[in-house]
Amino acid sequence: MIEHAHPTPKQYVAIAGILVVLTAIEVSLYYLDIGGFNTFALIILMLIKFVLVVGFYMHLRYESGFLNRLFIAGLGAASIIYLVVLLTFLEWTPG
Amino acid sequence: MTDTTMHASTSTGIDSGKLGMWAFLSSEALFFGALIANYLLFKGRELQGIHPRELLNIPFTSASSFVLLMSSLTMVLAHAALTREDQKHARLWLLATAGLGMAFIGGQVFEFSSFYREGMTLATNPASSSFFVLTGFHGAHVTVGIIMLLTLVGISLRQGSLSFGKGLNLELVGLYWHFVDIVWIVIFTVVYLIR
Repeated sequence: MIEHAHPTPKQYVAIAGILVVLTAIEVSLYYLDIGGFNTFALIILMLIKFVLVVGFYMHLRYESGFLNRLFIAGLGAASIIYLVVLLTFLEWTPG
Repeated sequence: MTDTTMHASTSTGIDSGKLGMWAFLSSEALFFGALIANYLLFKGRELQGIHPRELLNIPFTSASSFVLLMSSLTMVLAHAALTREDQKHARLWLLATAGLGMAFIGGQVFEFSSFYREGMTLATNPASSSFFVLTGFHGAHVTVGIIMLLTLVGISLRQGSLSFGKGLNLELVGLYWHFVDIVWIVIFTVVYLIR
């Protein structure tokens, strides 16, 4: 079978190193608790880790646009549906 | 030529197995989205009994997260080894991935049993229920992944080699495994780290 340019093992290890460093920063933020910025920073770090794994380890950045759209559609639908559900519950539930 | 264009026999030009797996993972995003939303609904509420936030052991779960991240690395190293036709190392990396997955599950069993000892059960309150359902379903997915990895190794030993071919193959199992990892990346942040 013909394989196109996936990352090399060294690049995979480098990405794992980045993931570990980002996780260490996340855990540090938990203990530092820098106020309102904490949640925002944790979400940004989570998204970076998410994109790194999906893009490089799952090879989505090397795949066809169709597969990209298929996965992003699921993620997008999940995010929108459950955001609406949460906002609805928060609006209508006392306390 | 890319992975996706070499399967010219399909109408999409994409291997059917891979297309099916991505569609499945897309639907799994909706499944876990529901469980995460359910947990968020009860996260900040005043409830009777112990709230999961009071018992979470961040250092221990951080170590578990590290183990699962490393299992994603060993999984891609198995993929890279098979791309080089290095069957022996591909099998070894798959076994390492399964071993790390088992370590993660062991950690989850320890965490759940310690929560039960502290008095937080599935029925304590809606927050504990949503916590156990969310993390429990994730653990079940990891367990299925371990079974798939070991099955793959078993099949390869029986047939003599691993392949990227039809049926249960390393690429599909890898996609599933990495998905389980990204779900944990979200759970670790949303459930454990965000106060």
